[in-house]
Amino acid sequence: MDFTTAIKRAARSAREEARLYLVAISSLAVAFLCLGAALITIANLSAIAERWGQSVRLSIYLTDGADAADVTQMRALLDALPEVTSTQLVSSADARQQFLDGNEVGHDLAALPAEVFPSSVEVTLSPAAAENPAIISQIAERVARLRGVEQVETYRTWMDRLRMLVAGGRFGAGVLALLVGVCVLAIVGNTIRLSIANRKTEIEVLKLCGATDSFVRRPFLVEGAAQGLVGAAFAVSLLLALFLFASGEIAPAFAAFTGVRPVFLTVPMMALVVVGAVVVGSAGSALALRRYLAER
Amino acid sequence: MFDRDRDRDRSRDRDRDRDRDRDREPDRDATDRVHTLGARDKKKPFSFFRAGRGEASAANKPILVFEGVYKYFKRDQPTLRDIDLEIERGEFVFVTGPSGAGKSTLLKLVYRAETVDEGRILFCGRDISRLTATSIPFLRRNLGVVFQDFKVVPHWTVFENVAVPLEIMKMPARLVRSRVGEVLERVGLSGRGDERTATLSGGEQQRVSVARAIVGEPALVLADEPTGNLDPQLAVDILTLFEEIHQAGTTVVFATHDRSLLETRPHRLLIIDDSRIIEARSGLTQWAEEQSGISALPARGAA
Repeated sequence: MDFTTAIKRAARSAREEARLYLVAISSLAVAFLCLGAALITIANLSAIAERWGQSVRLSIYLTDGADAADVTQMRALLDALPEVTSTQLVSSADARQQFLDGNEVGHDLAALPAEVFPSSVEVTLSPAAAENPAIISQIAERVARLRGVEQVETYRTWMDRLRMLVAGGRFGAGVLALLVGVCVLAIVGNTIRLSIANRKTEIEVLKLCGATDSFVRRPFLVEGAAQGLVGAAFAVSLLLALFLFASGEIAPAFAAFTGVRPVFLTVPMMALVVVGAVVVGSAGSALALRRYLAER
Repeated sequence: MFDRDRDRDRSRDRDRDRDRDRDREPDRDATDRVHTLGARDKKKPFSFFRAGRGEASAANKPILVFEGVYKYFKRDQPTLRDIDLEIERGEFVFVTGPSGAGKSTLLKLVYRAETVDEGRILFCGRDISRLTATSIPFLRRNLGVVFQDFKVVPHWTVFENVAVPLEIMKMPARLVRSRVGEVLERVGLSGRGDERTATLSGGEQQRVSVARAIVGEPALVLADEPTGNLDPQLAVDILTLFEEIHQAGTTVVFATHDRSLLETRPHRLLIIDDSRIIEARSGLTQWAEEQSGISALPARGAA
C-alpha cells in the first residue's frame, strides 16, 4: 500500500469514529499541556540560572569606620586582577537609599539611620571567572584577610541552590516526559484497540483478500501519529497563546525580580515535543496491533 | 488407533513417492513469470499461480491436489483423514457433508486459515501446506473466497468492498474503477457502487462478496456455504452466479450442505463422511441411484 492509500484509509476511519478520536486527542492534549508547562518552567529557571551565573559578583562588607586609604588600596588591588571587571564603593547612605528605592517599606523602616546599613565594595567579576568557582573562592579568601574587611559575600550558596533547583527541575521534567510518553502510549493504544474492535471485519476482509500485515498496520500507524500530532500541536498552541496573553502582565515584574524576561519553549524544543508525540503515537498504535495481527 | 497407524504408514509411503512426483512441480519458466496487473505491480511470491493460466504445461496439471492430508483438532480424532484429491483447472466441484464434517476446514486448509498436520496440498503445483506466514497473503491474492456470513464491511460502499483486492495489489485507480464496474455488472449490481453495503439485502450483500472474490481474476474461487444465510430462491440465484463464473473459465469449489442445490446440478461431488472424502463424479442424483442410500448427507432442509 502506498502512503496516500494509508492516509485515505486513516482519514476515513477518523471520520467514522470522530467522537472516539476527539476524546483521545483531548486526553493527549491535557497530557502534553502538563509536559509543556513543566518544560516552560524549566526553560525559565535555566534562563535565570544562566543570567545570574554570567553576572557573578562579590560584596565586600567593610568594618565600621574602615580607613578610606585601606579601601582605596583594596580597590586598586582588585581592579588590577584580570578576573575583576569593575569595583564600586557603596557607602552606608547609598546602601540605605538603595534599600528604600528597591522596597516599598513602611514609615518605621524608612526611619532607620544610615549606620544600620554597612558600607561595601561591590565587585563585578568577568564571565570567565564566573565559570570557575575556585577562582571566586580564592579571591574571597584573599580579600577577607585585608584590613577593614568585615565579611565577603560570594553568593555561591544562592547560585548552588538555584543550580540544584534547575537540575532538579530538569530531572522532574524528564520524569514527567516519561510519564507523558506512557500516557500517550496508553491513550493511543487504547483508542486503536477500540478502533480495532470496531473494525474487526475490515481487518479480516483485508487479510483474506491477501493484505500483508504492513498493509493492515499502516493506516493504524497514521492514525496514531495523527492523534499524537494533533494533541501535541494543540497543547503547544494553547500554551503559546496563554504565554503571549499573560506575559504582557507578568513580564515586567518577572524581569524586575529575576533579571530576565520570561521565555517560551524554543522552536527546536516545540518541534521535539510534536515529533516525539508523532513517534510515540505511532508506537502506541503498533503495540496495540501487534498482538491482534499475531493471532491471525 | 489401529486405523490411525495404518493411515500413517500409508502417509509415509506417499512421502517416499514424493520425490518421484517432482515433475508435478510447476515449470520454472512459469515461476519466473509475473502476472500483469498494472505498471506498478511487482514480482511477488506466488505470482506464477496466475501465469499458469496461459501456460500449456501448467494448464494440463490439476489446479489443486491433496495428498494424504490429515487435520486434527482433537488428538487421535482427525477432522480430515487421509484426504487424496485432485481438482482440475476449470472444474466446478461441490463439497458436501453434514454440519461439522469438515467442509469449511477443507477450504481453510487451501486459503491457509488452518494448517495441514500431515500430508501436503499443491496449488498450481506448489506445496502451500508449508508456506511461511509472509507468503500467505500472496497465496490469497490468487484465491477468491466467499463465506456464508458474506464478510463485507457494512459501512463501506459496494465499490469500496469490491475494490479491496485490487487496492491490495496496488492497481492504478483508473483500472480499479473499470474492473470493479465490469464485475458489478457481472453479479447484477451495475450502477450500485456508491450505495452503502449495509443498506443492501442479504442476497445483494452476497453478490458483493462474490464480486470481491472474482475481481482479481483468481485461479480458484472457494465458496464456503455461500447460500447458508439465503432463502431457497436466492440460493439458486447465487449458485447460478457461481456457475456463470465457472463458465468463464474459473475453477470453483462450492461447499454446501443444501441437498436441493446438489440435486439440481450434475457437478462433481465430494462428500466428507467420517473424516474421509467419498467422490461422486457425476453429481448427487446419479450417485444416489448407484448407492443404496446417502447416510452421510443431511436430510433436505437440515442445518
